[in-house]
Amino acid sequence: MVPAIIGGAFSVAAGLFGSSAAKRRAAEQKRERDRLKNKLNNLENSRQEIINPYEGITNLSELATNLSSQMSNPFANLSVATSAAEMKIEEADLALANTLDTIRATGGGAGGATALAQAALKSKKGVAASIEMQEKQNEDKRAAGEQQLQDKQLAEERRMQGIAMSEGQRMQQADVAGKQFVFSQTENRQMQELDRTASLLGAANQAYAQSQSDQTGAMTGMLGSLAGIAGGL
Amino acid sequence: MENKNLFQNLYLKQFNESNAIAYNERFVSGSSDYNFQLLDNAYRNAGRTYAKLKIAIETNSCMSEDCALELTGIKNLEESPKASLDFLSSLIAELSVTEESSFDPNNNYKYTAANSLMNGRPGFSKTDGYQAYLDLLPDGSQQIVFLGPAFETPLVINSAALNALLESDTSLVVSTPDINKDMLKLLTEVGLFAQEMISENGELASGAKITEEYVMMNTDGSFDYEIIDLGNGKGRNVLKYDLEKIEKKVTPFINAEVAGLMSSEQDVIAAWNVYISKDTSVEEDAQMAQNANAGDTSWIYELDLPLQQDKKVLFEIKYKEYFMNNYLKQFTTNQLPTVKEDAAVFDLAEAKKAKAQKFLDDNDLN
Repeated sequence: MVPAIIGGAFSVAAGLFGSSAAKRRAAEQKRERDRLKNKLNNLENSRQEIINPYEGITNLSELATNLSSQMSNPFANLSVATSAAEMKIEEADLALANTLDTIRATGGGAGGATALAQAALKSKKGVAASIEMQEKQNEDKRAAGEQQLQDKQLAEERRMQGIAMSEGQRMQQADVAGKQFVFSQTENRQMQELDRTASLLGAANQAYAQSQSDQTGAMTGMLGSLAGIAGGL
Repeated sequence: MENKNLFQNLYLKQFNESNAIAYNERFVSGSSDYNFQLLDNAYRNAGRTYAKLKIAIETNSCMSEDCALELTGIKNLEESPKASLDFLSSLIAELSVTEESSFDPNNNYKYTAANSLMNGRPGFSKTDGYQAYLDLLPDGSQQIVFLGPAFETPLVINSAALNALLESDTSLVVSTPDINKDMLKLLTEVGLFAQEMISENGELASGAKITEEYVMMNTDGSFDYEIIDLGNGKGRNVLKYDLEKIEKKVTPFINAEVAGLMSSEQDVIAAWNVYISKDTSVEEDAQMAQNANAGDTSWIYELDLPLQQDKKVLFEIKYKEYFMNNYLKQFTTNQLPTVKEDAAVFDLAEAKKAKAQKFLDDNDLN
């Protein structure tokens, strides 16, 4: 049937169908090759960016909270107890006034008044000395309190920084390890797929070359048989 | 509007496959002439023409200056036998696509008729009113002409045009990509199955399961099962899968597959029309015999090429759906537990009671 349709020798018609089958295979292989090339390109282009797992690392010093501002010197505002001294001075002044009244009523002389004034002065000097001593004691206590406060502030700062730094480091290391794991897993899988597609592409190239060679073989065989049809051109 | 190619191709397919002609008494009783003799007819006068040209050159009686036309004519004739074979083999290779089981009936139906004629199918003989000619043209190219009842107007194919198409990786008749083969392969590539689930020939082993990375777990590390009702008061645990995570995982691989297909937009239309558009398989189409393909949602080669961006996007979406529904779904539904004691059939009422009690316990509601 087929030679009747094509004409010429049987071998020509049979060869034509053989050659067309080789061409069909070649076209399929070429199509497969193009498809795999595009797929490979897409896989390459959609590969994940290389990451720097350490890019999230930050300065952790800000994590430490300084609690020192919440501390105070309990001796900083001590007041001098002056009310008792003031009372003593008032009593001395009152006694002096009463004595002066008595001297005037009894007709006492100037010598009595002088002695009285000296006594009053002595009494006031005693009061002043007492206030000065209290102030000195307070100053000593304030200094000691300040020293204690500074020691405590320093200890607290060190403690807080220690906690913050170690926790921050732990979290950052976990983050780095996590990023590295995800990256390497994704990379492995993408590379597997890339390798597989590249290997298929290699096979498709070989198959294409083979089908082209088959085509040439079929064509060469037919040409010999065709001479008769063409009338010995 | 009725798609003429679709209708005619399906009719010819049915006609060729139904064996109906064997029951046609007129055909059986008469003889059919398939003597188209393409090459004999094409070269009948070639010898005489060649001799005339040779004589004109040798006797210096050429019609053209310096015998340019005569020399070209001789060269064309000398090259024509090889060109004829090349042309016919290319044509037969293209037309043979119409016989593939997944052939898209939206291709030009005239090629299906031409293939029937070239293969001497019953009903396509000279007796049935068909004719075919191979012509050697003055420009050195050749053309084949098909005529007959199935063609309405003659089908003319020029060798130079066909060569140009094939050289640019364009088919006269597009072969539908083997989506089934591609998707089975894709299953092994998407990274959901462990390497040991993939056999040496690159296919999924029988009983392959998606890795536990994609199975839903409870906070205590145990499997979060779904209970299915088996009837008669019995139930069974099945695994629940993190479908969102699965989709996220497979999408880049599906995109790469689609990008591969896009290397030929003809292929994309064929895959759309035959498989993707209506989520059907070739077997289903064959059973329904008629427009079970894309039908009225078909993309038309003559109108839709080159593919617009919206169609490319739509294809990608539907391709993914097709893969998820027809290939991946079987691995995410009704999967029995891997823990042996969880896989047993149990009393549904008791299981419900136990589940309620666990809820009360977990939430301190006792």
